[in-house]
Amino acid sequence: MDNEPSLESLITSDNVDLTNCDREPIHIPGNIQPHGVLLVLKEPELTIIQISSNSYQHLGLHPTELLNKPISVILKKNQLNYLQASLKRENYENNPLYIFTLKVQGQVFDSLVHRIHGVLVLELEPSKFVKAGNSPDLYNHVKSMFSSLSSNMTVREFCQVVTEHVQNLTGFDRVVVYKFDDEGRGEVLAESIGEGISSFLGLHYPASDIPKQARALYMLNWLRLICNVDYTPAPLTPILNPVTAKPLDMSYSVLRSVSPIHIEYLKNMGVKASMSISLIQNNHLWGLIACHHESPKFVPYELRTACELMGQIISLQLSTREENEDFEYRLQIKEVHARLIEQLSMQENYIDRLLNYNPNLSNLINAGGVAVCLDGSISKLGETPDNAQIAKLVNWLSDSVTDDIFSSNCLSKEYSEAQKFKDISSGLLSVAIVRSQKHFILWFRPEIIQTVNWGGNPNKPMEISDDGERLLPRKSFELWKETVQLTSQPWLDCEINAARELKDAIVNIILLRQANELARLNRDLEQSNIELDAFSYIASHDLKEPLRGMHNYSNILLADYANQIDQDGKDKLKTLARLTQRMEGLLDSLLYFSRVGRIDFSVSVINLDEVVHQTLDILSARLEQDKVEVRLPRPLPIIKCDKVRLGEVYNNLISNAIKYNNKLKKWIEIGYFAPGEQTNSNQKLADYDNSYIFYVKDNGIGIRAKHLESIFQIFKRLHARDQFGGGTGAGLTITKKIIERHGGEIWAESEFGEGSTFYFTLHSRKLK
Amino acid sequence: MYTDEVIPTHHSILLIEDSEEDYQTILWVFKKLAVSYPVYRVVDGEEALDFLNHNGKYSSQPRLPPPSIILLDLNLPGTDGRDILYSLKQDEKLKLIPVIVLTTTNSPKDVETCYRNGANSYILKPVNLERFLQMLKILLEYWFETTILLGDFVI
Repeated sequence: MDNEPSLESLITSDNVDLTNCDREPIHIPGNIQPHGVLLVLKEPELTIIQISSNSYQHLGLHPTELLNKPISVILKKNQLNYLQASLKRENYENNPLYIFTLKVQGQVFDSLVHRIHGVLVLELEPSKFVKAGNSPDLYNHVKSMFSSLSSNMTVREFCQVVTEHVQNLTGFDRVVVYKFDDEGRGEVLAESIGEGISSFLGLHYPASDIPKQARALYMLNWLRLICNVDYTPAPLTPILNPVTAKPLDMSYSVLRSVSPIHIEYLKNMGVKASMSISLIQNNHLWGLIACHHESPKFVPYELRTACELMGQIISLQLSTREENEDFEYRLQIKEVHARLIEQLSMQENYIDRLLNYNPNLSNLINAGGVAVCLDGSISKLGETPDNAQIAKLVNWLSDSVTDDIFSSNCLSKEYSEAQKFKDISSGLLSVAIVRSQKHFILWFRPEIIQTVNWGGNPNKPMEISDDGERLLPRKSFELWKETVQLTSQPWLDCEINAARELKDAIVNIILLRQANELARLNRDLEQSNIELDAFSYIASHDLKEPLRGMHNYSNILLADYANQIDQDGKDKLKTLARLTQRMEGLLDSLLYFSRVGRIDFSVSVINLDEVVHQTLDILSARLEQDKVEVRLPRPLPIIKCDKVRLGEVYNNLISNAIKYNNKLKKWIEIGYFAPGEQTNSNQKLADYDNSYIFYVKDNGIGIRAKHLESIFQIFKRLHARDQFGGGTGAGLTITKKIIERHGGEIWAESEFGEGSTFYFTLHSRKLK
Repeated sequence: MYTDEVIPTHHSILLIEDSEEDYQTILWVFKKLAVSYPVYRVVDGEEALDFLNHNGKYSSQPRLPPPSIILLDLNLPGTDGRDILYSLKQDEKLKLIPVIVLTTTNSPKDVETCYRNGANSYILKPVNLERFLQMLKILLEYWFETTILLGDFVI
């Protein structure tokens, strides 16, 4: 109050307009509503120092007859005594209290007194009650209202009951409960209306509809009354209070004249009289009970007191009730969460479970629609953007949002693409289940406007087009719409937590399921290995039996019927016998190959040099026969491997080197590079610079570059069967399998006609 | 085949073999090897047990002395060769007859099972008639000329 603007710069009822109404000092209007009289008294003499200009109308005395006179001019002796006694007894500081009913010139007044800034304010308003007769009625009204409020009502239902009772008690045409959101925007939550009165239920208003200074006053006094919007304000005389040298602060005055803007607003609504009761929760203006009447209406003090009491008691109940409602929602979330998880753990296809069963994701968190995305496939429920839009959104989420939980009630602010589907998703709550798989769950909330239940007909054309248009409720609704554009209902903490908990649960289930799946695959693999083993032996028996029959019979024929078969027939029978043996060889190779892939290797620390020498011993006859020079530049290292299998590897590679050589002076070199040792510029070798690389090199026929890969394919032959000593063509395939099962790689390099080198590694890590 | 020192015997061979071709081949080989002992052939386990126990269709035939050796194929229809081996070796009388497994299956598991269950020898049928002949020649020489069988004492 100390830093109030000077009077000259004050916005008053004379110069206030829409552009400055939020600065209008409505607590010092300098005027009162003329249905009562306001007197300002100076203590302790109780001299009248200010008076409303309408005193004559009510008291039969002009201001000039009363100013600077003691209050005893209008009070009887006993009333004065009572007032003085009361002033000593009661606390009137910022606290208007009824003091007595006063009869002046045949009119009965309720007298209300409060003290502010060191002056006493006495307000007289017409009393229309005969007190004794009506008190029980009020008491019963209040009592019956409370008995009809049951504890399990929602806030909305609760407010509905309140409006009905207030309407019943006061007889207003329309009683609404108006609730403010966190940003001060209002919504008509409940309404009770008389016949033929238009409904405001569901209307929303921008915060600017009620300027902040008005809200401040709503916090100070619980009830305001405007008896007749067409009133002519009665100014105070003098304007400035002689004691304070300031306009009278009428914050607590029941007769305070209201802002012309507000009057205009009421007029535009077709309201002639209005009363509002504050609903205050934890020192914060929760909402209002607003009462409207289409004709002037005075509500006597006593009735107002009853309404105020209702407002106060309701206010006290709101917290608990809202907490209950929150609690119930949280409880619902918990319950749905638990049931979802239960379902998830039973179901193979959990995405289907999340969406298509009861309960599902939309029961967990209130939303317009839900989508579950996994690896580009999108499953949807309810109102959602289309697949392309969701896919784009998911890309944005996985690229630009680092948190696994993302929530926004104005998505387009962060993701402008969202404007395209604002109707469906102005709000987004998303959880990344598995980011790498673009596995997201998305809840979409529509733009608030889309959800608003409009009480009247929004398409009805405006009938008023003058300046007052702005202050129509519908116009006001339009304005509100602008303030909430692209915005959805906010996501509650409990909803975000629920999303987080769901994510954790799903991740656990996925992990568990993956572990189970892995275990199952292992079991299957084991089973299939057993079956394959069985198959191998069955095949060896069942395929070989007829083969053996063919073989034996052709030989028996050759032996027993030699005289009856000519040479050509004998040759063909011999070929038949040979083919059966080749077939047996192929079967054996195939079976062996399948076994090498499955049997357990017995890996131990082996001196590879010994392995190579043993192999050379086995092959010594052939080496000697073909006069092959074996070059061993240095002893091979000691290494961890399966001795028998490595022996096979060398056997195969050396046998091939012997076999595929048509040079006169044949040689084979068996050597290795230790890690970091080889200086070859060859990329393949460089890849394995950190491993041992073993090689078997020959000066044989070489391999054409195009065959370097295919030589490792089973039964792949590059030469006619009879050339280079034959063989089944499984040797290199088996070799490759053995190397791979050691964790290594085998490859060949060759210059056609000059020779080949087979390189292999064991337990290698590729440098990349 | 017989020398004067050897007491004449009533040797015979029981062949448990379902494959007609293998049976014919074995007969052919026996002929080549001039085997003179009777060779009885049954095609499955049930028949083998009937033959040995003089049951079923064999009950009406004259009782024969038990075979000196049994050549057993493993993969048989119905009662498998492995089961026959087990049954034979559980029987107080029949367990006295050497059982030579003669089969195509070379699974280490089969080999082990057979020896565990009392097989006296395990021979793989090759896809090579000449080798097969050699194998059977060695087998017969071993069982009938090298070792002493219980049948040697039966007159």
